[in-house]
Amino acid sequence: MQAFEEETYVKKRFDRRTWKRIFSFMRPLRRYVVIVILCGVLLAGSDIAYPLINRYGIDRIIAAEDLSLLPWFVGVYILFMLVMGTLVFTFIYFAEKIQNHLAFIMREKAFRKLQELPFSYYDRTPAGWIMARMTSDTRLLSDILSWGLIDLTWGGLMMIGLALAMLIINWQLALITLSVMPLLVYLSFFFRKKILRAHRDIRKQNSKITGAYNEGLGGAKTTKTLVLEETNYQEFEQLSARMRRHSIRAAMIAGLYFPTILFIAAVATSLVYYFGGVLVFETVIQVGLLYVFVSYVAQFFEPVIQLANVLSHFQQAQASAERVVGLIDAVPEIQDSPEILARYGSAFEPKRENWEPLRGAVTFEDVTFRYSGGQTVLEHFNFHADAGETIALVGQTGAGKSTIVNLLCRFYEPTRGRILLDGTDYRNRSAAWLHANLGYVLQSPHLFSGTIRENIAYGKLDATDEEIIQAATLVGAHAFIRDLQDGYDTEVQEGGARLSVGQKQLISFARALIRDPAILILDEATSSVDTTAEQLIQGAIEAVMAKRTAFVIAHRLSTIVRADRIVLLEDGKIKETGTHEGLLARGGDYHQLFTNQFRPSGY
Amino acid sequence: MSRFKQFTKWMGPHLPLYLIAVAVLFGMQYFRTLPALFIQHIVDFVLMDGASALPGAIARALEAQTVRRELLLVALVALAFAFIRLSLVFVQRVLFSISTERTVHGMRNKLYDHLQNLDYDYHSSIETGDVIQRVTTDVDTFRRFIGEQFVDVLRLLFMMGFAIFQMARMHPTMTWISLATTPILLFTATIYFTRVQHIFRGVEEAEGKMTTTVQENVTGTRVVKAFANEPYELRKFTRTSQDFRDKSMHLTKVMAFFWSSTDMLIFAQYALTASFGIYFTVSGTMMSGQFIAFLSLLGLIVWPLRQLGRIVADFSRTTVALDRIEDIVGIPDEHEGDSLHTPPIEGRVTFESVTFQFKDDNKPLLKNLSFEVDPGETVAVIGRTGSGKSTMMNLMVRLLDVSEGRILLDGTDIRGINKKWLRRHVGIVLQEPFLFSKSMSDNLRIIKRDAPHESIVDAASVARVHEDIENFEEGYETLIGERGVTLSGGQRQRVAIARMLLNRKPVLIFDDSLSAVDTETDLQIRRALAKRWRGTTVFLITHRITTAMEADRIIVLEAGEIQAMGTHDSLLNEDGLYAELYRMQTGGVDIGEGGTDNAGI
Repeated sequence: MQAFEEETYVKKRFDRRTWKRIFSFMRPLRRYVVIVILCGVLLAGSDIAYPLINRYGIDRIIAAEDLSLLPWFVGVYILFMLVMGTLVFTFIYFAEKIQNHLAFIMREKAFRKLQELPFSYYDRTPAGWIMARMTSDTRLLSDILSWGLIDLTWGGLMMIGLALAMLIINWQLALITLSVMPLLVYLSFFFRKKILRAHRDIRKQNSKITGAYNEGLGGAKTTKTLVLEETNYQEFEQLSARMRRHSIRAAMIAGLYFPTILFIAAVATSLVYYFGGVLVFETVIQVGLLYVFVSYVAQFFEPVIQLANVLSHFQQAQASAERVVGLIDAVPEIQDSPEILARYGSAFEPKRENWEPLRGAVTFEDVTFRYSGGQTVLEHFNFHADAGETIALVGQTGAGKSTIVNLLCRFYEPTRGRILLDGTDYRNRSAAWLHANLGYVLQSPHLFSGTIRENIAYGKLDATDEEIIQAATLVGAHAFIRDLQDGYDTEVQEGGARLSVGQKQLISFARALIRDPAILILDEATSSVDTTAEQLIQGAIEAVMAKRTAFVIAHRLSTIVRADRIVLLEDGKIKETGTHEGLLARGGDYHQLFTNQFRPSGY
Repeated sequence: MSRFKQFTKWMGPHLPLYLIAVAVLFGMQYFRTLPALFIQHIVDFVLMDGASALPGAIARALEAQTVRRELLLVALVALAFAFIRLSLVFVQRVLFSISTERTVHGMRNKLYDHLQNLDYDYHSSIETGDVIQRVTTDVDTFRRFIGEQFVDVLRLLFMMGFAIFQMARMHPTMTWISLATTPILLFTATIYFTRVQHIFRGVEEAEGKMTTTVQENVTGTRVVKAFANEPYELRKFTRTSQDFRDKSMHLTKVMAFFWSSTDMLIFAQYALTASFGIYFTVSGTMMSGQFIAFLSLLGLIVWPLRQLGRIVADFSRTTVALDRIEDIVGIPDEHEGDSLHTPPIEGRVTFESVTFQFKDDNKPLLKNLSFEVDPGETVAVIGRTGSGKSTMMNLMVRLLDVSEGRILLDGTDIRGINKKWLRRHVGIVLQEPFLFSKSMSDNLRIIKRDAPHESIVDAASVARVHEDIENFEEGYETLIGERGVTLSGGQRQRVAIARMLLNRKPVLIFDDSLSAVDTETDLQIRRALAKRWRGTTVFLITHRITTAMEADRIIVLEAGEIQAMGTHDSLLNEDGLYAELYRMQTGGVDIGEGGTDNAGI
């Protein structure tokens, strides 16, 4: 599950720069914005004009008892109906168009940036956080920037328009009616703030409840074996009771807000009843106008609640805006220099014609690496592997095995020192060039939803069926894939056949091999593959390693034994290096490690 | 279960509260129609000497000497009525909220409790995400229905009812005319919202696809980057994102068309009412105040009709949600009808031709297992993945029940022993243990809440995890999980062992529960345990020959059958699967005497 708790909302000042940036995303949509604003103006105008049509009927036809004007009245009504229909359609259509396109633009920008951001970014940032930016935040922002802005324009124009119309029709009555305004504004904001806070509390409780369910399900077996059913239930009951209390409290606050606004409207209406009635009695105005005023008062209060909503939504959306802008404008820490980009192209537009071939010689030259947190993992690390060599990296967790692989993949760059590929600093080549020459098999095979075929072809997007089958055969996966009901078209995730971890591993292997990489990196799985599958994998590894440089974070003895060279790491330094026999004979740390851990699975 | 019962099942216990809330709602809607009557009263009665549509008593109370005074009275009384109405709005909202939240509270608790007590088979067959969806989203759908839509329906119905009632009191013919288009409106809205559901679902699906693409991209960054497939990923994403956008736009078109066309229909109704109203007023059967009142009462009918259509269409969603909830609640829980027998347990375990097979499987996972283990004996079970080792252990704590044969504990069939009692005495440490997102000390204390700090430190020391814990910034108070530290697999396994140590168990099962711990530590832990828990029957499931070879007895399991049983030496001599595993695990390298000694065996 993703992180359950959203960041707590912090009250912040209006941040102009962020919003300006967000608005800049709307530039391609400005035509729609103009249309929508125009529609908003016209709609507000129509809403204001509408009671006047009825007033015409009351004062000109009823009061004058002149039925000959009735066809005109009906005609105006029909015209009005058609205008409203068209306006409403255009309005909704373009508002939604802005919303959908804006969300699309922001998502696209953010996703592109996510592809460019280096590995360290993903280290710092939980997947759930990124997901929330890509989904709920962009949705919220595009919503507020389309409908929110529209409501603001329409509602604002409506209130201004109504106020003006009332003032023109009868300024005394208008002033009396509008006298409740300040109170209205004050109360609206007062309540909105309370309601917001109450809803935030509910959301928080809600995510806790979801978390509890999640834990209850994930830990079901543990709960049963430890007989924790009652204790868990008691804890949950407390949680859900708190949720109930918070919900009721929120309902009470909201339940107070709505009637309060309506009561102010009722005060205004009563004012119109009295003063308007008196004016009609004194024949200063006609009955139709009294009707118009009563209608206007009702209409006037409609946007108030909406406006307060929108304004507080803007306030809420600021946090989203900051996060989205933060993601889109993030500066990647690892970037190819402009010269390199010009020569070799970027990840999105590679210039393959300029790419040099790679034989696979790897040199770490006095490499020091420090994580941004300050922890030094490698210090003055020197190492050379000839093209075609198989290197087994061995050592305790934290010895620096993964760091070496991460540096080699250029997921990170050395803090000091250089890494040379065929004698050239890899920073003098593009990252895409390196990655195109790399075959990488992870400890936990990450497969994408889609068929087995698609997953193998992920290593070589233009692979033919023959190539795919060949790669699968090479790693010994062809047999089991063929036996599946849908063969290579079996979906690897939900809905498809359940593949075992071992089988997935084989697929990820085929994926790495299909591209015939110069350098192969293999992060061996520590466990979960049974001995038979392991031998199968082992066979595959041997078959393909012969021709290329291979770095293996090795856990299995058989891999270690067969490597050309074993590098025993300790605290980021090479402790011992040599062949299996040579190291054993030496009787040092490797010998110690080997004899203590002659076993198939992990350290 | 009938639709009706489906609702009353949950709402029933709070029925009185619901009834009061509905009564308040009913009264409130009457007041809702009064503003239209007050303006009629002013225009027709106060200003023109016609009849008032207000109830007689109120109308009489509003009579006064002068017109000004009458107007003032109307204004004040209207305000007073507004106050009453709005107070009722508040009361009704709070009442509905209380009854709804109580209903949902009961539902949530029931679901949680029930889920916990559903058997292991259920839990191993479900997709967690799907169940979470049901217990959160579906419950929320139900909550919104009874708390909002149900109330909305009643409110709209009551309001329309009173509006029609007031209209009819003033002018029956005009009432018919004012309702002329309403059936079409309601019909259109209902059909529309029903039809639009599948477009909605299409949009949701498209969004789901897009989210999956992002999710896979984010969790698989390593792969994406290592394969330099960023352009491919961007294309893939853009495609799903575009699809989502286009589907949404399609929905938009349909929606815009609906709202605009029904808007026109509503204004057509207004035109109809207004034209006839004018005609009737001019021809003298109606008064201008009544005409105004009609226009405002009409608003109480036509605008809500579209909403009513939406709710009617949404109703099916709620019943689907309830069905999905019922799917869970309807499954019998594993403790129903369980034995109450709680015999003392010493630790003699007997398997009598035990066979196990999943109901929907065609071949048994375990075949005819028979053996007996004495109290205090340590038995290792070794075998390939899928040979049935874990299944065997699950049978012993009745996470699963044998298909044939019996398992006896001190001579009693375990199916005759209370499940919880059994599990309290037969401890099992799982390979992938679950730790709760609480502090470390609360996790360790989980089976014995009142355990003093010394004893949890002691347990942690035996399980060799004390030092790890001390190294955390907040030591034993460190939060584990989502919002705290992430433990390595080995650390988790050791914490799971430690928490098991707080209560002494006659039988203890280690289900490959040291697989992520290095051999050295594994050994230390087992040594410490053996010293402390003499007399406890121990089952060790393991892949490691080094672990197995220390047991009093080793059971070699192959394809659900006992392939061999004996001590390390006797099994090596047999030269069967055990010997093969032994060779495989030592990498075909002769480790010789020295190697064995070095490993401390």
